Amino acid sequence: MSATTPSNYRTAATAGIASPRLQKSLHGLQNRFGKGAMEIWATMTDQEMRRRVKDARMNTFAHLDIILAELAKNVRTRGGQVHFAATAQDAIAYTLAVAKRHKVNRVVKGKSMTSMEINIDPVLEDAGIEVVETDLGEYIIQLAGDKPSHIIAPCIHLDRNQIGELFEEKLGIDYTNDPPTLTMAARRALREKMLTAEMGLTGCNLACAETGHISLVSNEGNIRMTTTMPPVLVALMGMERVVATLDEHREALQLLTQAAALQKLSTYVSFLGGPAAEDDPDGPKEFHLVIIDNGRSKILADPEFREVLACIRCGACLNICPVYGKIGGHAYNSPYCGPIGGVVTPLLDGINKHADLCKGETLCGACKDICPVENDLPRMLAALRHKLAYGSDLWNTSQHSPAEAYVYSFWKIVIGNPRFFRLMLRTGRFLQRPFVRKNKMVRKMLGFAGGWTKGRDLPPLARQTFAELWKEKYAATRPNPIEGQNEEGN
Amino acid sequence: MAGAPVSLFIQCLVDTMFPEVGEAMVRVFDRLAIPLTYPDGQTCCGQPAYNSGYRREAAAAARHFIEVFEHAKAVVCPSGSCVHMVRHHYPELFPDDPVMTERAKAIAAKTFEFTEYLVDILGITDVMAEYPGTVTYHDSCHLSRGLGIVRQPRMLLGKVRGLELIEMQDSDTCCGFGGTFSINYPEISVAMVDEKITNILATGADAVVGCDISCLINILGRLSRRGEKVEVLHIAQILAGEKGGDA
Amino acid sequence: MDSQTAFMRNIRQSLGLAPDTERPKRLFPALFAKADTALILQDIENRTTEQQNELVEILQANALALGVNISIAGSHDEAAAIVVDLVRTKNPEFTHTKHIVHHDHPDLATLQLWKRFSREGITVHTSFSADQQLREKTIASFIGITAADIGVADSATFIQLTQPGRPRSTSLVPSIHIAFLKKEHLVADLREAYALLREKERLDSFVFITGPSKTADIEAQMVHGAHGPREVHLIVLSPPPIEKDVRETQNLQHTEEQQPNS
Repeated sequence: MSATTPSNYRTAATAGIASPRLQKSLHGLQNRFGKGAMEIWATMTDQEMRRRVKDARMNTFAHLDIILAELAKNVRTRGGQVHFAATAQDAIAYTLAVAKRHKVNRVVKGKSMTSMEINIDPVLEDAGIEVVETDLGEYIIQLAGDKPSHIIAPCIHLDRNQIGELFEEKLGIDYTNDPPTLTMAARRALREKMLTAEMGLTGCNLACAETGHISLVSNEGNIRMTTTMPPVLVALMGMERVVATLDEHREALQLLTQAAALQKLSTYVSFLGGPAAEDDPDGPKEFHLVIIDNGRSKILADPEFREVLACIRCGACLNICPVYGKIGGHAYNSPYCGPIGGVVTPLLDGINKHADLCKGETLCGACKDICPVENDLPRMLAALRHKLAYGSDLWNTSQHSPAEAYVYSFWKIVIGNPRFFRLMLRTGRFLQRPFVRKNKMVRKMLGFAGGWTKGRDLPPLARQTFAELWKEKYAATRPNPIEGQNEEGN
Repeated sequence: MAGAPVSLFIQCLVDTMFPEVGEAMVRVFDRLAIPLTYPDGQTCCGQPAYNSGYRREAAAAARHFIEVFEHAKAVVCPSGSCVHMVRHHYPELFPDDPVMTERAKAIAAKTFEFTEYLVDILGITDVMAEYPGTVTYHDSCHLSRGLGIVRQPRMLLGKVRGLELIEMQDSDTCCGFGGTFSINYPEISVAMVDEKITNILATGADAVVGCDISCLINILGRLSRRGEKVEVLHIAQILAGEKGGDA
Repeated sequence: MDSQTAFMRNIRQSLGLAPDTERPKRLFPALFAKADTALILQDIENRTTEQQNELVEILQANALALGVNISIAGSHDEAAAIVVDLVRTKNPEFTHTKHIVHHDHPDLATLQLWKRFSREGITVHTSFSADQQLREKTIASFIGITAADIGVADSATFIQLTQPGRPRSTSLVPSIHIAFLKKEHLVADLREAYALLREKERLDSFVFITGPSKTADIEAQMVHGAHGPREVHLIVLSPPPIEKDVRETQNLQHTEEQQPNS
């Protein structure tokens, strides 16, 4: 992902935590959408559906060459052009060439994570093309020169007053903080853009190979506008965003809209199979589907991580993650934030570069429970940490912290040697004495453990361990009831 | 009522910082007349290493654990996350060693969390304890999501004389401990535990109870720093009837 | 095709297969095995009037919850009356004159809308494919009228297939969208709708529409009319005898008139 720079996770997280506005938004978001999705999963009659969709996704990946070939064939039959892009650069170059061929001055974008992943906007802009985001949230972000902080609700970190000031400055309207009035102002401004753009640029939620369609989901209608009014349409699609059949499409779509926004269906689901036919009254004259690898085949190749490709980008894991719920999306420094970003960003953009995303979660498992396709994100986070612990040639990853590795190799010796373990404890008990306060808590620790006492006290080591107490108080009164029990002592 | 002999695995944090929790377990099992043993040589289940990615080191800890507890009929531990480690991760730690994998699976099948063992294996929900006061209960992540243990502790608490359980908002939201996470990302961890504490305080309960000492240390540490008066107790301490009655 | 060859090669390699050996679709018949929809289609076909009316009730409830103004018309005349009333009482959002556009569809042609406004300065367009000015006419229209191909009771969705004379923009660009749905085109859920879609001959482009355009991007406050129509009126064409329902829903409709106006 060319879009990202090495992350500054802790600093950005701290800033997020310090913002009462963000905390309030995140709290509201999680209370409604996180809990709502869990409620839907708990009460849906078809309890097999999530597993079925996951299995279908995994089966698709095992046959991805066949399924993508079928998709391409069917789109081409209708006159659509399909380009397979191995890299972000490739996808950008192709899209730029299409724009130049049509002397495009203005591109309107439907909300597309993939376009952010490949970071195409600056390239189009450098070529003198105006690029306009049309999703209201993305438009606000673009006007503010900011970055999205949620997959579905990109400007969750901004409040109505900030947006009011922004619109006053950028759209020249009178200041208001009334969401309907602000929305209407954007509606007018963007309508003009969408009706005059020469090219639409979108992503793809789910393509259906059997019928040769891409499908796009939106509530605002911006994606319908973007795919209907400009004469040229380019759709950017991650290569995993495909299902084989219409039936698989239906179930995946239903999971997507429920998980993302608790809707049985989004307002609009557009199915596009190519350019407008000769006798069609409207629609794009040219249709380009760009199918992008950009690191995905590497994920496909690793059984440990393949399932992350099943993600349908609903954002539900953000709506429940207690870490995301505190730090917000900017800390992840990637178009993909939250738990899914914690796995996908390092895999696409470098594990070492994004080590903080691999390590900066508690592995609480809430994301796994809410994921509509039951992706085991905590398992994959732990697997990423495994790569960081020792380095990995396959993932071009070096050992993250030789010092930490040294600590654990020492720990290993202690753990395997009960006598040594007990000796260490006694030493610890002795050394902690000056730190134990009157309230019997340790208020400050040194070295790497100092992180703990930044905001918390620590109970000291007890005067006697349970092992010692057992020997002293309990062991003698009860015979060992189990034959062959390991009883060799320390 | 007496069941098979129980081998105690006293998780390292309990062993070294809260031995009274281990003693409370002993009192509960004694009251139920269940024979107990405490195998010597036990250290740590290896979870810290595993969660940090150090699987070779975690495997060494697992091997040690397996050797210590191999002959036990049932291993019972006052920590959901340790049991989660043994049950769900041990079998994955020896991918190239089928013999060790089998041994790991065997250990996994007979290692139980304390409340799970009482309720699901022994079928006991009333341990004849007494605790005069109000408590609220924190669902630890690896306990509730990892092992599915949600109802067992509540059933046990429900039978404690004099105890009133007041559920907190979002009892199953992570407290922010996360092992080394709490040390490496203290700002995030503290923000998370602060929310937990807000929810605890909102119940007005005298004490917060849990089944995992690691979460409880996190909550206790923050409560102490903030100067809050709520007591923090492991469920074994409640079930031992330490406050009121027959301990 | 070069980009495709290299791309597929890479995928096969990632899957641990011989990279240069293409896998033909015919060797994997299960991959694209079509679900057996015969039973579903039979269910739809054999639905009794009573069952259909039940679906209409479900549709009504779900539509109202989404902010869709739904009415049941017993005849084309009744339907026309609803449309005429909307055209007269609603105000254009982007223009000062009243233009409306409707699909080139027999059910809509029957309404003879162009006759009804001949003395009111209201211009009625039909979206003929051959009309070179169609785009401008649609942009100028404040109401777009379409005939839906399929309705889905469970989610209050209607499905529009792009066809000659039935453009996508009619249900998108005007501020108010009026959709006609014949009762016999109403199915229970998406599963049934997908089964019907399979049977359609021309499936180049189609859209599921569920409620008015909306956004909640500013402080999660729901606002109707982000980019698409801010109002959606669904008229279910249902021959008598359910006149009772007509009165009921029209009353409901009037209480729903709290859409933002500009």
